Amino acid sequence: MSDTIKLLETIGSDASLRYASPDELKGVLKQAQASVELTMAVTTGDCATLRVELKLQGVPHMPQTQVPGHDDEEETDVPQPERPQPTPAPSPSSAKRGSSR
Amino acid sequence: MPSATLPSLHDTRRGSLSCVGLGMTLGSHLTPLARSHIEQADVVFAALSDAIAEEWLKRMHPDVRSLQPNYAEGKPRIKTYREWVALMMAELRAGKRVCGVFYGHPGIFAWSPHKVIEQARAEGYEAHMEPGISAEDCLYADLGIDPGTYGCQHFEASQLMYWERRIDPAGYLVLWQVGIIGNRSVGRFDIGPAYRALLVERLGQDYPSDHEVIIYRGATLPIEHPCIQRITLRELADVPLTAEETVVLPPAVTLQPNRAMLDRLQALDAKGREATAA
Repeated sequence: MSDTIKLLETIGSDASLRYASPDELKGVLKQAQASVELTMAVTTGDCATLRVELKLQGVPHMPQTQVPGHDDEEETDVPQPERPQPTPAPSPSSAKRGSSR
Repeated sequence: MPSATLPSLHDTRRGSLSCVGLGMTLGSHLTPLARSHIEQADVVFAALSDAIAEEWLKRMHPDVRSLQPNYAEGKPRIKTYREWVALMMAELRAGKRVCGVFYGHPGIFAWSPHKVIEQARAEGYEAHMEPGISAEDCLYADLGIDPGTYGCQHFEASQLMYWERRIDPAGYLVLWQVGIIGNRSVGRFDIGPAYRALLVERLGQDYPSDHEVIIYRGATLPIEHPCIQRITLRELADVPLTAEETVVLPPAVTLQPNRAMLDRLQALDAKGREATAA
């Protein structure tokens, strides 16, 4: 059986394979003696079988972006001002004292 | 004829750092220079979106250390990212050539690569960032959008809610992290839908509720195709979304000519013609 990661790399870097139809790709994979799981992933469009083959089904995906949340500002030095807080309506007494900011 | 092969140069005196992008699609996007950084490193740290891509990376280097385990449910993301910086800096201070490999482009929506490079340089280490093909790059190709035609604004989605930002509905609007808006840590999706409803309300100030919204996700494996879903703005509040999806709003209004500036440009042209004639 062929190395699935190597086959994926080959498909990803070959212009004729990257956009081949599932049927065309299945034919090529058969010749290459690809795993049943890879062939099934191409057929169904569901890569879950690949993760089973590679024993990665329990590994969570990372978030696509890697930026702190905006509620993290108390711990971050992300170059942006703090999350604005609603400005309370001034009470008559505080209005006399003027703004504290 | 002399050989075109050159030996690589390594400064063995002290550590160095590179942050590179693996691109979006396994096998398709890794640049020769990024691959060289990976292969020439002493230790490689990986922050990739897909475990299969990480397996691919392990074929390029014998010491690939996943940063994924630092994420934890309920743990603020910023804590995780600080730990990543600390892990890379520790190896750098030990004199290693360190390579941080990140999904897509290492400098786009990625806090820790910028931070670790800044810190490394502040401590006198050589540090580089090598660009990679980002989700944004794939989005332009897959959706057939040219940001130069009408202009294009990008926002991390919560920016539109926490800050007074001006949307230009004559151009494209691209919103990132809509699926995890309002969630500060991995694995918590409790307040997301309510936040998203508020986001839709904010967008409603600039777009009609039946305006087209494109939900986009690029291919991460080369046997996949991009996912493109078209809905209306009003449906955005309820459609299932993950962190992997990006939201695109096409222009809603036509470009309006800037009459005052056009008049001034015309006056300049006329002046130029007079000067030429004289």
